[in-house]
Amino acid sequence: MFRKYLIVLLIVPLLAACSSAQASSATSVPTQPANTLPSATANPAITLSDGLNRTVTLTSPAQRVVSLAPANTEILFAIGAGAQVVGRDETSDYPAVALSLPTIGGYSGFNLEAIVALHPDLVLAGGINTPELVSSLEQLGLMVYFLPNPNTLEEMYTNLETVAKLTGHETETAALVDSLKSRVAAVDSKIKPLSNSPTVYYELDATDPTKPYTAGPGSFVDLLIDRAGGINIGADLFTKWAQISLEQLVVANPGIIILGDSAYGETPAKVAARPGWGTLTAVQTGQIYAFDDNLVSRPGPRLVDGLEALAKLLHPDLFK
Amino acid sequence: MNIRPFLYTLLFLILAVILSIAVGSVFIPPADLGRILIGWLDRANFSEPLKTFAFILTGIRLPRTALVLLTGAALGGSGAAYQGLFRNPLADPYLIGVASGAGLGAVLAMSINWPYSFWGLLAVPVAAFIGALLTVFLVYTLARVGKTVPTTNLILAGVAFGSFATAVTTYLMLRSTGELHRAIAWLNGGASQAGWEPVLAILPFLAVGLGILVLSGHALNLLQFGDDQAQQMGLPVTRARTLILLAASLATAAAVSFSGIIGFIGLIVPHVIRLWFGADYRRLLPLSLISGAGALLLADVIARSVIAPQELPVGIVTALVGAPFFLWVLRRSKNQGYW
Repeated sequence: MFRKYLIVLLIVPLLAACSSAQASSATSVPTQPANTLPSATANPAITLSDGLNRTVTLTSPAQRVVSLAPANTEILFAIGAGAQVVGRDETSDYPAVALSLPTIGGYSGFNLEAIVALHPDLVLAGGINTPELVSSLEQLGLMVYFLPNPNTLEEMYTNLETVAKLTGHETETAALVDSLKSRVAAVDSKIKPLSNSPTVYYELDATDPTKPYTAGPGSFVDLLIDRAGGINIGADLFTKWAQISLEQLVVANPGIIILGDSAYGETPAKVAARPGWGTLTAVQTGQIYAFDDNLVSRPGPRLVDGLEALAKLLHPDLFK
Repeated sequence: MNIRPFLYTLLFLILAVILSIAVGSVFIPPADLGRILIGWLDRANFSEPLKTFAFILTGIRLPRTALVLLTGAALGGSGAAYQGLFRNPLADPYLIGVASGAGLGAVLAMSINWPYSFWGLLAVPVAAFIGALLTVFLVYTLARVGKTVPTTNLILAGVAFGSFATAVTTYLMLRSTGELHRAIAWLNGGASQAGWEPVLAILPFLAVGLGILVLSGHALNLLQFGDDQAQQMGLPVTRARTLILLAASLATAAAVSFSGIIGFIGLIVPHVIRLWFGADYRRLLPLSLISGAGALLLADVIARSVIAPQELPVGIVTALVGAPFFLWVLRRSKNQGYW
């Protein structure tokens, strides 16, 4: 009996040695798809470093782009590259014309076959995509650019400019960024002189109304509430998306409640009816507002729309 | 030895492999599939759409089919071994904490921002593999009493440590920012990387683990009489049990490292085999291995096609389709006292 085991034990390291040698030789080859080297043609190559520190080189602006994140789709359409987009992820629903594009999967799994079948010359991945996905696409010989999640509005503008370079829309994008910057400046100029800042509770998910999820430090929600002249009561929590207990909420006593989860059916009336919530100032004064969370959760150009919408909610008399 | 069960299960496996290659979100007409196979040697000169189809087959479907086949084989085989080892119909490959240990390792690795490199990309599967093996080692050590390792102790230590590891995993997931969907996808099974590397990476471990298991049928048969009896019949009980436990755990750990936690296959497949073909472990083990591979391939085909182009985590499909199927088999079986 045990002699048989012995034979297996002897054979196996051999097998292991063979296959691990194979595995390493197969992967030590640079996984970067074979780029054509930049040559002295009319089109100088586009060489950029991406969010995973990979170097991505395109010989000419991409003409068939697959977007793997809703923010990327919004960026592509906003900078005028919408006609070059040939595929989108399941959650990319803005602008509405994007909905007619074929989908290549999404949250629960991306469909490699569908991506390959679209013959993209650029796959635009985003911060919500995994490095495993990027590596898989790369191994299939696709050109992938990983657009990192921005942390500030400035980084968001940089992302717009990066996508502009990849798709050849630099002039339009420069104009777009200028207009976005001036819109932000317009909000800033009205907010700066203010001395009173209302406290704001931004709700992401209240499936359990005794400890709902809210936006913490480092999130765009937090950044934009601050920029719109409010005080985010979640600013002291420990992660970007964190639970806050009803007790803490009562102590913080927000003057304004913003329902980022209104798309999931939360309404001001439902909030007022939650047990224990009646003590909050916002509930008593009726300062509860539904809000389009996509404006602040997708790191694209609509963040500025989000900023303006928030500023209007927090200071209605200033923004008429 | 009756060869018919082997023919049936092999036929099932071959059908499942063909389905797995033929079905995908991109429809490849059977005629084109035939043309690709016939013209294989001349594939460099394929024109569209054959070129794309051939690329999808070799680059995406075949590696995935191979990985799913190996994973299913590992889960089916280890499941049968665990059930025999613990003489418990509820045993599955995750009984003593392999899944929770692997999950903890994987989620820990995901909480670190690895550089995008060969090793960075391997961090999650390697951490899962180490987490699984460390858990088995810990549980085994904790369950040990003198020179023996009572199965009850093993199960209890495994369940206790498993709960602990799961709690830590959940805590890490709640504290994490942003990586949650990645962890959930892994814990539901089916998180996969394209290409042949995962297949080559787990192959040696599966070869050792499953190789030992296939040869352990006789020892497991003896163990069914109870430890004392088996000892009297000449089986070095503790040594045999340790070896089988390690082999099954090694195979399971390798299987989950790339594919995530896929439930139910390891529990149900051995039972169906037992109901249909009897409880002789010399047969049960290889048959469970073959059928496990076939069953997981079928589940994967379903996971890929029901909401295409999206994919379901395969772990959901195994339970969703596997449970009713098993209940049907159980009801129909006249062999109610089969265990």
